[in-house]
Amino acid sequence: MIELRDVHKSFGSAHVLRGVSLDIPMGACTALIGPSGTGKSVLLKHLVGLHRPDQGSVRCFGVDMGRASEATLLQTRKRFGMLFQDGALFQSLSVGENVAFPLRHHHGDLAEAEIRRRVARALEQVELNPASAERSVTDLSGGERKRVGLARAIVHRPEVLLFDEPNSGLDPVTSDAIDKLILRLKGELGMTFVIISHDILGVMRTADQVGMLHDGGLIAYGPTPAFIQDESPLVRAFLSRSLRRDPDGHFLLPSPPEL
Amino acid sequence: MRAIAAVGRFGIFLGRFTRASLTHPPPLRRAMVEAWEVGVAALPLLIVIAAFVGTNLAVQGHAAFTPIGGQRMVGLFVGLTGVREFAPIIAGSMVAAKSGTQMASEIAIMRTREEIDALEVMGVQPHWYLVTPRFLGIILAMPAVTILTTAVIFTAAWAVATFQLDLNPSTFIEFAESVVSPRDLILGVFKGTLFGAVISLVSTYNGFYSDPGPDGVGESTNRAVVLSAVGCNLLNFLISQAVYG
Repeated sequence: MIELRDVHKSFGSAHVLRGVSLDIPMGACTALIGPSGTGKSVLLKHLVGLHRPDQGSVRCFGVDMGRASEATLLQTRKRFGMLFQDGALFQSLSVGENVAFPLRHHHGDLAEAEIRRRVARALEQVELNPASAERSVTDLSGGERKRVGLARAIVHRPEVLLFDEPNSGLDPVTSDAIDKLILRLKGELGMTFVIISHDILGVMRTADQVGMLHDGGLIAYGPTPAFIQDESPLVRAFLSRSLRRDPDGHFLLPSPPEL
Repeated sequence: MRAIAAVGRFGIFLGRFTRASLTHPPPLRRAMVEAWEVGVAALPLLIVIAAFVGTNLAVQGHAAFTPIGGQRMVGLFVGLTGVREFAPIIAGSMVAAKSGTQMASEIAIMRTREEIDALEVMGVQPHWYLVTPRFLGIILAMPAVTILTTAVIFTAAWAVATFQLDLNPSTFIEFAESVVSPRDLILGVFKGTLFGAVISLVSTYNGFYSDPGPDGVGESTNRAVVLSAVGCNLLNFLISQAVYG
């Protein structure tokens, strides 16, 4: 269980998170949605200790991420994988070297052949040709960058996989392909997924439970079917832009994509 | 208030860099790559600038001392100014202009693209990964860069004095030797190396704490070269004051 308790965070005069409390169960897919600028990415970065709360606590694997020493944080982070918005790939390294990066730094004893085998496997898992390991990351399209970033995030078999806006900057077709990929990996890998997104359709297709952030606060959180029936006007206004309704005015879950 | 905050942040940055460098294995292979890049990147510009500094010192010295019958003092003047003072500061300036700006912009771009966050999430200490090899690389390269700068300044000045100004070449060297001892040469190398350390730390710090976006990258790169130049010149003054003052 990942536990957030009364988390507050400010940057200068901007109060970004205002007392967020949240339990994220292990082994499930949890999504946090909300308009841009509501603190979603900031909240995600608290989970891995990239930000420390001004007040409150964030506990992952029993470690208080806000108060842990740097050495403890670095060790705990090895249990996470993270897909960043634009992939955050290292420009000076090839695709293969990017994917191998966590293996070389986490498992220094791995033989080169084993590293290559795991890199090829990770690339296959994200539906890329293992031969693309030789490519330069500067030649990749937006969708390919996300896939390589995802391969790098899963190659060391983390326990928790974090997604920061996995669909941002993608065209609808590529975005749909990424949703399918996430859904397939969710079934294959059995990891805990935490997704931050403002893509409502994508989230509703993949998440087991959904929360909504507004103005730095968590205004609704629950299993996906229950979440879409939440009575909060802010939630309903947000969902109404993407979800269809039945004749009674209840929102309908989108059909899952064909894998 | 912002300046005080920046000094505090630089102190924290230095603390993290020092701790990370002492608690992790030294990244020697990457440091060698950095050293090669620092040396090679600055070399063409360095040779051109140093050569013209040397030629101009000889011309200026000749113009200043000839009216009082002191042409022979040109060697002394070049030794005093070119070798003792200008060589390390020019080596530092060129490295700040080429390698310092490159360090700051590379790291600032990594900050903008969340690559530094990615390093941390992958359990890699970013100061050790990004700052330590650049620091070690510049420390390894600067002695050679400073010696080369000194040699080019002196040779260019000697060449102008001998072939253009018709001064006695042996006299030029004798008078230069009268004010430049081995201790001065070692001090010059020490200064150059110290400037390298300042440039690498100031540049990587500014890249590390860059604001996101193209504007942030530009500002941090600009700040890096300005602060490096100010830092190096201040240190140069303090060292010269302590040793020769």
